[in-house]
Amino acid sequence: MLHHNIFRATAMALLLTSATVGIARAEDKPKIGGTLRLAAASAAGTIDPHISYETGFYWPIFYVLNDGLVTFRKAAGQPSNDIVPDLASEMPKISSDGKTYTFKLRKGVKFSNGQEVTLRDVVATFERLFKVGNPNSNLWYNVIKGGDKCVESPATCSLAEGVVANEADGTVTFNLTQPDAEFLYKLAVPFGSILPADTQASDLGTTPSAATGPYMITSYDPQRGMELKRNPEFKVWNEDAQPDGYVDEIKYSFGVQPADAVTAIQNDQLDWMWDSPPADRLKEISTKSAGQIHINPSFATYAAEMNTNIAPFNNKDVRQALNFAVNRRAAINIFGGPRLAEANCQILPVDFPGHKGYCPYSKNPGEKWAGPDMEKARALMERSGQTGQKVTVTVGDAGFDSRIGTYLVSVLNDLGLHATLKVISSNIQWTYAQNSKNNVQITVNTLWQDYPAPSTFLPVLFSCGAFHPGSDASPNISGYCNKSIDAKMEQAMKAALTDPAASIEKWSAIDHEITDDAPWVSLYSPNLLYFVSKRLKNFTYSHQARMIFSKVWLD
Amino acid sequence: MLLAVVRRAFDMVFVMFGISVIAFLIFFATPGSDPSARIAGRNATPEMLAQVRASFGFDRPLYVQYGRLMQRLFIARDLTSFVNRGQKVVPAVLQATPVTLSLVFGAAVIWLTAGIGLGIVATIFRGTVIDKGLMLLALCGVSMPVFWFGSVMNLITQSRFHDTWLFSWVPGLGYTSFFESPSLWFKTLVVPWFTLSVLFIGLYARVLRASLSENYQEDYVRTARAKGLSESRIMLRHALRTSLITLLSMFGLDFGALVGGGAILTEVVFNLPGIGRLTYQALQNLDLPFIMATVMYSTFFVVLANALVDVAHAWLDPRVRDAR
Amino acid sequence: MTIVSNTSAAPAGKDKRNKPKGPWRTALSRLLRDKLAVASFLFLASIILSTASATYYADHISQTDPFQSNLDGHIEISGEPAEIMAADSEGLGLGVTPIGPTWTGQYLLGADAQGRDVAARLLYGGQNSLIVAFSSTALCLLLAGVVGTVSGFLGGIVDTILSRLLDIIWAFPIYLLAISLSIVLISKGLQIGPFHIPSNSLLLPITIIGVVYVPYVARPIRGQVLTLAKSDFVLASVCLGMPTARILVRDILPNVVTTLIVFAPIMMSLSILTESSLSFLSIGVQPPAASWGTIIQDGQGLLYTRPLVAIAPGLAIIITVLCLNFLGDGVKEAFDPKAKLRVGKD
Repeated sequence: MLHHNIFRATAMALLLTSATVGIARAEDKPKIGGTLRLAAASAAGTIDPHISYETGFYWPIFYVLNDGLVTFRKAAGQPSNDIVPDLASEMPKISSDGKTYTFKLRKGVKFSNGQEVTLRDVVATFERLFKVGNPNSNLWYNVIKGGDKCVESPATCSLAEGVVANEADGTVTFNLTQPDAEFLYKLAVPFGSILPADTQASDLGTTPSAATGPYMITSYDPQRGMELKRNPEFKVWNEDAQPDGYVDEIKYSFGVQPADAVTAIQNDQLDWMWDSPPADRLKEISTKSAGQIHINPSFATYAAEMNTNIAPFNNKDVRQALNFAVNRRAAINIFGGPRLAEANCQILPVDFPGHKGYCPYSKNPGEKWAGPDMEKARALMERSGQTGQKVTVTVGDAGFDSRIGTYLVSVLNDLGLHATLKVISSNIQWTYAQNSKNNVQITVNTLWQDYPAPSTFLPVLFSCGAFHPGSDASPNISGYCNKSIDAKMEQAMKAALTDPAASIEKWSAIDHEITDDAPWVSLYSPNLLYFVSKRLKNFTYSHQARMIFSKVWLD
Repeated sequence: MLLAVVRRAFDMVFVMFGISVIAFLIFFATPGSDPSARIAGRNATPEMLAQVRASFGFDRPLYVQYGRLMQRLFIARDLTSFVNRGQKVVPAVLQATPVTLSLVFGAAVIWLTAGIGLGIVATIFRGTVIDKGLMLLALCGVSMPVFWFGSVMNLITQSRFHDTWLFSWVPGLGYTSFFESPSLWFKTLVVPWFTLSVLFIGLYARVLRASLSENYQEDYVRTARAKGLSESRIMLRHALRTSLITLLSMFGLDFGALVGGGAILTEVVFNLPGIGRLTYQALQNLDLPFIMATVMYSTFFVVLANALVDVAHAWLDPRVRDAR
Repeated sequence: MTIVSNTSAAPAGKDKRNKPKGPWRTALSRLLRDKLAVASFLFLASIILSTASATYYADHISQTDPFQSNLDGHIEISGEPAEIMAADSEGLGLGVTPIGPTWTGQYLLGADAQGRDVAARLLYGGQNSLIVAFSSTALCLLLAGVVGTVSGFLGGIVDTILSRLLDIIWAFPIYLLAISLSIVLISKGLQIGPFHIPSNSLLLPITIIGVVYVPYVARPIRGQVLTLAKSDFVLASVCLGMPTARILVRDILPNVVTTLIVFAPIMMSLSILTESSLSFLSIGVQPPAASWGTIIQDGQGLLYTRPLVAIAPGLAIIITVLCLNFLGDGVKEAFDPKAKLRVGKD
């Protein structure tokens, strides 16, 4: 087993976890039944688990609907990063060269449509990933033999050599082109959900897929809502992987604005909201309904990405000047105050594997950010000779982005640049900012983990290969390309196969090196605030599945 | 007569065609509007983008795309969203219709009653403080940004005074179908009705007041007065009747525009999932099929209302009738 | 918003021609006798003057830069230090609330979510709101005057094409058109020949608002010119062999200009409301520039804790629009009492 437990709980995380535990103690007997009522401001498109990349929004739903061969443990806190067998009856056998994984398929598990889960479904699932154009099929799953060919011609995808079913002993073997330290993570996320072999080979869109978990979607209308009912075929096979649910029904309403959701939760008309409560309601709920608030650290970095290829941010001095000048406390004040975020100067989120406190851009450079240093910032600006340059800060119109953007404009102007703000629809901001043709100079985004490994941040966001000039799909928004760092990342990936601890060390060093180069202004790691109804009990926060829907019960 | 109808129908189709072309071109002029990237997902390669583009036909010439879109919208009626894939456009628009109708009908009842009432009262007391006060109020109604007034109403009814007996009955924002719970339907809509109607009350009261006092100087009113008819009779039978024709044509146009989604700001502020909000969301999402459907829908009502008002006007007003 | 207008097609100058004074001077003296209109005008002038003093206010009274975020600072209120953005300490200690109205020079009306002085921003925002309203009205009247006159006077194929174009814009619900144009132009900027208008320029909302209202003014003007062109006195001039240009300048244009003057205050009030609506939807005036609409938008996020941030600019809009409407009534009475203008929103 290659996965290592690398989560390091800090004082902050302990504090937060204990707060949650304190509430859990007061909840005595589990209750079965009832309808869990959830709300969100808007839906997020397709519910095809092989396509939807809504890691925060829809993945937690998928975790109670579908199962992969393996999955993340459904538990609170640190153990939720562990891989446990799910539709496989035990952890796979991995060959010594790390290139073959053999899983034994669990017997007797049925889809919600009554069919049994078979080896054929497993093979079909991985071919389907390519056929439907899974967003990561070319990054994650092409490590399977035949995968590269499938990327080229998805319609005729065949993984006859890559995913081999052995009916006789009920096993399936994955043959990889090269060892992959993170292969199990890739099977554990919802992309690895096993679907029936006869599922259509194109985006399911608003049609629910057959489920294996405790719930199944019975209706989905992106304008109105989503309904989940119990999957009649579900029986618990591994409590760690897929526990049974307490509530009978889950009703998700879309189109509920956050302010209205807060009111509805206060009035016991809703149980949980996806969006963060609006900033001006925080004071009210934190005094009136403190017991209904759960705050948990999240694996995300909120950062301003600078375009390192065009002026003025092609100049390292300007990038560093901005890093020195930005007052992280001011940004955190916009986000809702010091309890809701932790200042961060580097790429990897606070407490994420590989995160080693490092802040060179501070009044007193050290492990943590201590305050802005305007003198240093101005000196760097002077040296850069870029004073007076025009900068447009491009941000989306949702959440706190436009407020942070306004703040950045103010700081840039203070530094002697000539900055203006451009607010665009948050629906296009992510792709708009990626396309180098749009010449976005600086933008802001929250960057989330896919699974708990540094490689979901560093190579994806900073390798030369992740920069595609002129394309809407170029996640390296900074257009940062550094051959020596690329080589180091390659080494860190390799090291993960043989010496995970050394690999983590390497990633930390890379993280610091990129931070020194300052392609981003990292602002903070946000904490997730969940505001729930009085009757919602046993709130369980997993780092991967967020609030585990099957774990809560209603009083 | 038949020729006139055909001509009118042709005009309508022409205007709708023009607008559909404008909406289509506006969409393609928007940077970042290419839905392939969003459909293909977060880390898609350029090759995958090309594949999605081809499968959705985004690589075809614009006029082919336009033709296909219109064919799927009006003939096959199976047009689906670019953003929420699989979501059919036509049913979504039909689902939003009753919300907008509920909002607009209720508001119309309020603004017609109050507007006409205020106009008559002001005319009766014309020249006095009552008249001036009412007209000032009416002008205030016309001068308010509706989204601001809506927000203030929300602040009052949802927050500041929600805990008092006055507004404790106001439910949270949103919409409940009449068939689900008539009382809740009514309660959720009272504040939006009022907000939407305030502007029109002011407008209609002013127009009616102006029109009535003008009519009082017309010969037929003088004749009626000379015949010794009572003031109230003159008002109701003569002056008001003529003025209502003016109001009717105004009402037709306003109602048509509102049913077509013109109450967009009210729907956004009160979070009512009607046509206006659907349109706004479609524009925000840059979801072409939805933009097209909602724009066509609203244009249809505007154009239809225009045509109906013209016909009704010609039919009701003898002066116009004879002139034709 | 719609304006349905059947401006009386009768030439405004006709019945006044016999009077000793020129028609415009008559109208002006009539306007000056209208107390409400004069009062409104003076009030408007004082609003304009106070917005013009924004820089002075920011420098000397509020002593803050209203475009500089101040999220981590302090001020002194009667000797006591006060945080501009105060993190709350009660309960779980979540949330950060900007300082409320101090009713002193600094932060008279409190701070917005960026810790900026709301009163100072209100003055700066007023400048932009008024500039946008005034310029877009001028643009709209100019375009509408030209299109309406050309269309009505030339007739034929030119009229058909222009009228069809107006019909299309007319049938496009005004807010839909304004919103869709704004979404496109805000993300791209506008290129007209060699001129590029950047996406954060005030010229964008000015152009958009100016253009979408053109049919509302152009259609009545076209009707008016059409009637005038067929009227007895124009026909007489034609019979007398007067050149077309002279007829246009002497008989048609004065009437068109009168109508445009009557329209001006009302169009301006409409423009203010439209600008604020667009800014409210974040597609009007772009930050860091402010307008009353953008301040309402900023205040929307503080409605529960600091409602004044949204209420104050709303009141400013109402007062300004109210004055413009009073003035509009007066101008109408003075210049063309028979004009039926109607202003509204749909």
